[in-house]
Amino acid sequence: MNAESLKRKGYYAVLWLTSLLFFAPVAWIVMSSFKTRNDILAVPPKLIFSPTFDNYLDLLDRNTSFVLQFANSVVLSLSAVVIAVVVSFLAAFCFSRFKPKGTNFLMFILLSIRMLPAPAVILPVYLMYANFGWKDSHIALILFYAMFSIPFSVWILKGFLDGVSVRFDETGLVNGGSWLHVIFRVVLPQLKPGLIAAFIFNMIFVWNEFLFNFIVGGVSTQNIPYALAVGTYSDGGLNWTFIATLTTIYIIPPIVFIYLFQKYLLAGMTFGTVRGEV
Amino acid sequence: MAAVSQSGGSKVASPRKSLFDDRRILVLFLLAPVLCFFIVFNTIPTLWLLGLSFHNFSLTSGMPPEFIGFRNFVQIFYNKNNIWADLSRTFIFVGSAVSIQTALGILLGFLFWGSKNMPGRRIALTMLFTPMVLTPVATGTFWRFIYDPTFGVLNAILRGLGADHPIDFLGDPTFAYWAVVAVDCWMWTPFMTLMTLAALGSVPKAELEAAEVDRLPWWQRVRLVIWHHGKFIIMLGVLLRTIDSFKTLDLIIPMTKGGPGQQTRLVAVELNKQAFESFNMGFSSAYAVLLLLISIAMTSVFIYVLNLRRRKDSAAGGET
Repeated sequence: MNAESLKRKGYYAVLWLTSLLFFAPVAWIVMSSFKTRNDILAVPPKLIFSPTFDNYLDLLDRNTSFVLQFANSVVLSLSAVVIAVVVSFLAAFCFSRFKPKGTNFLMFILLSIRMLPAPAVILPVYLMYANFGWKDSHIALILFYAMFSIPFSVWILKGFLDGVSVRFDETGLVNGGSWLHVIFRVVLPQLKPGLIAAFIFNMIFVWNEFLFNFIVGGVSTQNIPYALAVGTYSDGGLNWTFIATLTTIYIIPPIVFIYLFQKYLLAGMTFGTVRGEV
Repeated sequence: MAAVSQSGGSKVASPRKSLFDDRRILVLFLLAPVLCFFIVFNTIPTLWLLGLSFHNFSLTSGMPPEFIGFRNFVQIFYNKNNIWADLSRTFIFVGSAVSIQTALGILLGFLFWGSKNMPGRRIALTMLFTPMVLTPVATGTFWRFIYDPTFGVLNAILRGLGADHPIDFLGDPTFAYWAVVAVDCWMWTPFMTLMTLAALGSVPKAELEAAEVDRLPWWQRVRLVIWHHGKFIIMLGVLLRTIDSFKTLDLIIPMTKGGPGQQTRLVAVELNKQAFESFNMGFSSAYAVLLLLISIAMTSVFIYVLNLRRRKDSAAGGET
């Protein structure tokens, strides 16, 4: 073929190799989950081995709390993020349209919870929860995760709302629609990329959150990251098959999400300033 | 638009009175939920933290908190393990990790931007973004396995390349720090790539085409067109990474626990130790308050610079 297309092919090959390089450690985890314990600890590490599903069967067999923990992961992250996105949308609409006094200050101070190292946030919340008897409660955990997801959602959604022309509001109001009608029927449907982006980004955080669950949660609220951190040590050593298997199962949903919603993920990070195609 | 006028049309004759016609009530209704959340889960805990920082209080002693004024803060600075070493280590960590991620991320972003027709581009990008969505606790543990001197795959590769001694990446003081930085970069470079792709997407096509027609050299195109439109998003990415890497914890705990020695002990790691291993609540509260002040200062500077740039731009735009 001609030089031009050869160059193109080389370019694509470099990009693919980079992606594969970033993915390689993940691939190693996935591969390890199909190895026996001896194969995992083989020296030198085995690239070719006879795959086994024993680890997966073992996980379901021995770890009876697995189903509960997985359900907890789903329930905690879904409900927290849905609450956060709804609350953030209302606030972002207010900030974008009515600009009440102190809007900038509020937007900034909202971010402050994200600036603190996790233990600094957890410490007072832990004492508060212990005093109020809120420990080991799903609702208390969900509300806290929601609070943690609100700042970023407000920022993303305000950016998108600023991009939705005020004319839409005016037209709705002049035609006799109420503010509620304008907010939920006219403006909300135009925010789809922002809503999806806010949803996914916060989902990723809550889905993988460990420390807060560990400190404030209890037996009934454990999620999978908790299991990953606590179940690591067994039989006097690190249980590599357990980590590899559970991690492999646990990354499938986020990977599917990024594959399906890639477009929105990119559009979301433009904070509504997008004009071209991402 | 048609839907708007249709559904609203019937109400023109008799506009329904609603509680929300009053602007103030509407604003209150919109802000109430966020304010409730903010007060319960942010203001109260922060005040609690502030109060505790002036007390001597240990969870294990069973004694009620005792007011000791500023002594916790004094102790932070005059302790044997004083904060300066941890802070400077953290700042070097933030500086090196964030700049590597930004440089590499922007480079990859540009490369992927120019590959719209690449076969399997969506799958390649999904693979690239995967490190971001891994559970950090598990990631740290697994990297320990990859770095392992005996079983680790990295040392096997080095052996294959002809190295005769295995390297204990996380146990050797010369390597531990950079081994941790490398994992952080592996995890978060894709995020900067994502931000760069988003920034590039926000550049209007017409202006790019105009630059093409004007035959601007590539660096002029980047400076005048792309940077002009995309800088806000890229700077925001840098800001988020700076904030987040300042509090890096869950990657380090499973990998090194702050060791060897104190090589990888960042402020968040030390805080975690004081709070949840020593249960020294008064002292850790003071430590946390200090970190909050530093973070707020850092972010304020960032946002000030961002706004300043923007104001300058709009002023320049007004002149032309």
